[in-house]
Amino acid sequence: MDKNRFPEWVLGTMKNLNMVIILYLTIVTSYSLSGYIQEHSAMDFLLRAKRITTVPWKIPILAVGLYVCLLLLLSIHCKNNIRFLIKTAAELSVAFFLSVTLNFSYTGIVLLIIADTMSYFSDMKRRIILLAAICAVYMMLDYDLLSVQYPIISMEVYWEYFQRDVQSILLGVRNILNSLNTLVFIIYAIVLILAEVSEKERIQGLNEKLHATNEELKEANRKLEEYARESEKAAETRERNRLAREIHDTLGHSLTGIITGIDACVMLVDIAPEATKAQLKAIANVARQGVKDVRRSVKALRPDALESLDLKHALIQMMEETKRSTSVDIAYEIETKLKGFDKDEEDVIYRIVQESITNAIRHGKADHIEVRIDRNFNMLQIHVKDNGTGCGKIEKGFGLHHMEERLSMLHGTLSYNGDDGFTVDAQIPIRWGTEEEND
Amino acid sequence: MEQKTDRKYGLRAGICAMILIILWMIATDTYKKLPGFYEDVIKIGVFSDSYWEVQNGYAYQILDDAIAQFEERHPGVRVEYVSGIMKEDYSEWLSEEIVKGTEPDVFFVLGEHFNDFAEAGALKDLTHLIEEDEEFDEEKYYVSAYEYGSYEGTQYALPYECAPKLMFVNKSILMAEGIDMPKSDWTWEDFYRICREVTRDTDGNGTIDQFGTVGYTWEDAFESNSVSLFNEKGTECYLTDQKAGAAIAFVERLESLNSGYSVSSREFALGNVVFQPMLFSEYRAYRSYPLSIKKYTGFEWDCLTMPAGPDGANISRLDTLTIAMSASTVHTRQAWELMKFLTGDVGIQSEIFDYSEGVSVLKEVVESERIRRVFTESPDTGNWLSLPVLSQAVERAVVIPRFHDYDDAVAEVDRAVRTILDSNSNISMETIIQNRNINSYLKSKQ
Repeated sequence: MDKNRFPEWVLGTMKNLNMVIILYLTIVTSYSLSGYIQEHSAMDFLLRAKRITTVPWKIPILAVGLYVCLLLLLSIHCKNNIRFLIKTAAELSVAFFLSVTLNFSYTGIVLLIIADTMSYFSDMKRRIILLAAICAVYMMLDYDLLSVQYPIISMEVYWEYFQRDVQSILLGVRNILNSLNTLVFIIYAIVLILAEVSEKERIQGLNEKLHATNEELKEANRKLEEYARESEKAAETRERNRLAREIHDTLGHSLTGIITGIDACVMLVDIAPEATKAQLKAIANVARQGVKDVRRSVKALRPDALESLDLKHALIQMMEETKRSTSVDIAYEIETKLKGFDKDEEDVIYRIVQESITNAIRHGKADHIEVRIDRNFNMLQIHVKDNGTGCGKIEKGFGLHHMEERLSMLHGTLSYNGDDGFTVDAQIPIRWGTEEEND
Repeated sequence: MEQKTDRKYGLRAGICAMILIILWMIATDTYKKLPGFYEDVIKIGVFSDSYWEVQNGYAYQILDDAIAQFEERHPGVRVEYVSGIMKEDYSEWLSEEIVKGTEPDVFFVLGEHFNDFAEAGALKDLTHLIEEDEEFDEEKYYVSAYEYGSYEGTQYALPYECAPKLMFVNKSILMAEGIDMPKSDWTWEDFYRICREVTRDTDGNGTIDQFGTVGYTWEDAFESNSVSLFNEKGTECYLTDQKAGAAIAFVERLESLNSGYSVSSREFALGNVVFQPMLFSEYRAYRSYPLSIKKYTGFEWDCLTMPAGPDGANISRLDTLTIAMSASTVHTRQAWELMKFLTGDVGIQSEIFDYSEGVSVLKEVVESERIRRVFTESPDTGNWLSLPVLSQAVERAVVIPRFHDYDDAVAEVDRAVRTILDSNSNISMETIIQNRNINSYLKSKQ
């Protein structure tokens, strides 16, 4: 049995025991009354009782009916104080009428009410006041006290119908049941107090646990703050790196284009002044774009093309402009729609293409660059190949290093080869949700 | 969730209230008024033989007539009674019915048990019914008979018939002795004087053969000297009362006249005694008995009120049969009408003189022309009953307390009075001792 339900179980036993006692008392009484009638000694009975009794068949019905009412009332739990008082008053009145039906020979019912009421309050003061009030009622319901004031037929008068020996047995059983009820009541009180003590202990234990957990939590909080500080520092470093990268990407790219264009102009200016003019115009455009990029970097560190255009068109615009400003032939192939990427992904893709082209022009001196972007299952592949000088020993300048860094943020990989020109292969896993936008 | 438990508890409280209402209806018998339980039948509790211990074969005659007339006046109402219950079993039968809760709505109550039933609460308090009923007039009953139905100041029953104690006088002896018939306000001294004068040996054989009185007891003396022997509850005896002492002394004087001869009531029948107190019903019984018809024909007789003591009046006891209503009847209104009809209807009350041995409780009936004719046309030629005397005796009678075991208590007093009379010592001393004995006896009975 659940330890916490033990008091409840004792209360239940008490309720059943009271039912047995009430049935016993009423049936014996009712039987003795019928006996008086059968043996034609009803007149004697009336003379001794000096009261009209309840009709025999009514006694058990009234008593059991009232007891059922009492049980119903006991089963109602009130949180509200006023309702609780009303309920207790109703219980006491039902108990009073039950006592009347039993000729005040049995007052154990009030113990039941006390037991039920006890379970309500943990507040000792209020409990004692209420219990004292009920106890007063309990004592007043006693036959010996009441019979002084009011004419009540003693149970003994009824039971005198039986032979003396039978009568003693019946009275003995009544006393045993009565004592049993008192005993169960005492057990209930003890069990309730014990349960309360253990409940208090449990609460205390929980409190201690809570305190310990609180300490742990404080420690964790302290660590977290430390970590946050470190993390902040790391973020600062990362941001600094990113800024460096941005400057390299935007300004570096534009400046490379301008330098290459101006170099070309220097050679062309005598041969074809007209073409040089056109070339200069393109260079001016690149410079302007560079300024815009810087502004954007300052503002949001985001490629401006991406601000106004989608990824695909931004890439195309970027490559067309490079073609125009540097006269490098860029052949691009974009097999996939490049839609549904998040901004960070778009940024990375854009930067990788831009960086690869810049590298090809700046370091490889290439005049033909092939760019291919396609999808292989959920892997976006970027392939950039030039016909430049390439390099036997690759030194990771800012460009490659940044590319790798950016890709790793998207869990992508980068591979490059400098044997025949320079080839850059980037693989980016496409995130969930972008697939449906692709074919 | 909370709302749900609230509703659950509300339902329980509702069921509880419903059970309580049903229990209340069962406990108070209100359910008997519900259709299906209601019966429009009024039951009367009655015994089959005469209250006056006389078998006359007319046991239910008056009741049957009354029921027939009552049902005629109240269509739809049926009145029933259980026949065959003897008077000696009647109170037990009634008690059983009361305990069972099936007692009749209206029932006769024997005098000796009236207080017990009233105290137990078996009888309905009639106060309200009397107050609310404008037709009801308690004045038309003899006060003493009406009083008989009250207990501790509350009216629980109405008188049905009664019988006063009267003094029967052998006029032949008085005439022979040249003594005038006493007046109705005569006293103990008149009584004693006549007794002393008539007590003698008429045939000269040496033994007294003509006596003053027979059957005049200390009780008669007490009643006519306004002695209240017991308190109403029968817990205390007042034998040491000075009036009681005077009464005992008077009885002693009367008895001493007979010089030790114990007179029997047969002597009165034989015409050798001047006075014998008798309940009116006894007289009626003798009168109507075929075998006793010649009983008092050898002399002329008359009846008188009882002689008055120095502190009392010409009063005697009155035995009354009353009708009460069950405390738990659901036919209160109809039961009340029936009670009024049985006790207050002139026609029904007149029948008492035809079919019973008692006296009607209505002054109007006793003093009516018809009753006067019944008595004067009686076959006992020359013997007549003075109706004013009868009416006066009833009117002025005393109601003796009727607590439980009254007869035992009286027997105890009787024994005590005997002892006092027989003892040679100081009367008042002996009285105090005996009074103490009786009081301790009464206490032991509580």
